[in-house]
Amino acid sequence: MRNRPFAVPSPLATRYSPLAFRYCLIALLATASCSKPEPLYQEQLLALGALVNISIWGMEPDTARRAADAVTADFNHVHATWHAWQDSALTRINAQLAAGQAFSAEPEMIPLLERARALSRASDYLFNPAIGQLFARWGFQSDEPKGPPPDPAVIDALVAQHPTIDDVVIEGNQLRGTNPAVQLDVGAIGQGYAVDVAIAHLRTLGVENAIVNASGDIRVIGKHGTRPWRIGIRNPRGNGIFASIELQGDESIVTSGTYERYFEYGGKRYHHVLDPRTGYPAQGTLSVTVLAHDATTADAASTALLVAGAHDWQRIARAMGVKHVMLIDAQGTVHIDPALAKRIRFEIDPAPEIVISAAL
Amino acid sequence: MTFALNRADSVILIATLALLAFLYIRFWGDATQGEQARILVGGKEFSVVSLYKDQRLRIPGTLGVSEIEIRAGKIRFIDSPCHGKQCIHTGWLTLGGEVAACLPNRITVQVLGREPRFDAINF
Repeated sequence: MRNRPFAVPSPLATRYSPLAFRYCLIALLATASCSKPEPLYQEQLLALGALVNISIWGMEPDTARRAADAVTADFNHVHATWHAWQDSALTRINAQLAAGQAFSAEPEMIPLLERARALSRASDYLFNPAIGQLFARWGFQSDEPKGPPPDPAVIDALVAQHPTIDDVVIEGNQLRGTNPAVQLDVGAIGQGYAVDVAIAHLRTLGVENAIVNASGDIRVIGKHGTRPWRIGIRNPRGNGIFASIELQGDESIVTSGTYERYFEYGGKRYHHVLDPRTGYPAQGTLSVTVLAHDATTADAASTALLVAGAHDWQRIARAMGVKHVMLIDAQGTVHIDPALAKRIRFEIDPAPEIVISAAL
Repeated sequence: MTFALNRADSVILIATLALLAFLYIRFWGDATQGEQARILVGGKEFSVVSLYKDQRLRIPGTLGVSEIEIRAGKIRFIDSPCHGKQCIHTGWLTLGGEVAACLPNRITVQVLGREPRFDAINF
């Protein structure tokens, strides 16, 4: 090279330069190799009435596919165990709870029942997995809720019987119902729980970087290569993305929204998050997003805080040990704790009105 | 000095222009904008469609036919035999990673991007 300076007056050189030609080729090949696809494996499935997305980063496609298939089986198993209205281990439990006599449950079901009880108590029973009868009467135990809303007298009678998960006595694998109004429905934590089961399973299979997303209930582990996982939070009013956040390591984000499941009847909209104190859909809040370590806690907390509303969410969040919350009230005002406010980026224009709470 | 192009010069010229075009799209193009969408029926791939070919698709699902519209880089459900019409309320999708689904009809639409703006959408 030193003996042959590049004295070419223009790229349209009169003389053929084999060296330049070769460099061009090398440059082309180099850029081409940069654009090879990232080692991201993605799979989608339908389970628990949810669209489930699994993304695994940085593994051989065959290994990743096997891991994703294992997780698919997990989701189908959770579906078969916990489904509230299709024949499942849970519907069999519910049939026996009403009878009031002791019976054996599947041993694998006990940990989640105990977990649900602890979360329900911590939430001051605003997350209540024992109001299956209310959900059924409202028609939310169906793939497509249609209305009409139930007779107010029916709702009042059920609320007056005050079913909670404390009315289910757990002794070893034995269960006994002490309140005939109790019917278990773990819909408010089922997806989060399935996501946690899936992530735990992925880890045992050697997966270090992944996202499991069940209809928006998300848990991430590791990173996407050199960057964190990027999560968009859907706008509870209308289209598009409301805010975004980067997650990494081991974090879960779950949103409960009144826009997710609802029916319209007589010009009025009835959504699926029922306030156990009134028996009616919770009022005054559009959505609650909770960031927590595990998705089961985030799922239960997002439901409880939606019921708690803008005036009471901080008390319930503290009682549940939840540190990061964003609540959007019916006026569209964002109520958020200071730690989450630092991490989140609002993507809508104009920016929403934001009220930052005391630290949780 | 003459500037007649010989064959090798032409090759270099074409290769350089191709490289320039490639680099422009790769580094200056809007990488978050989706270019294609994947349509799944019952969890299985039904088709991958370009978002730059305006058309309406009729997709057979479990309950019946869902209608999907593609226009100017965007895609949306415009009809579906479900009751809730959640899929239609989701509206236009355009960013890589955005998803709309009609779960009762078991049809999902996901925008594919070169570098998706989001790895997952929380809702």
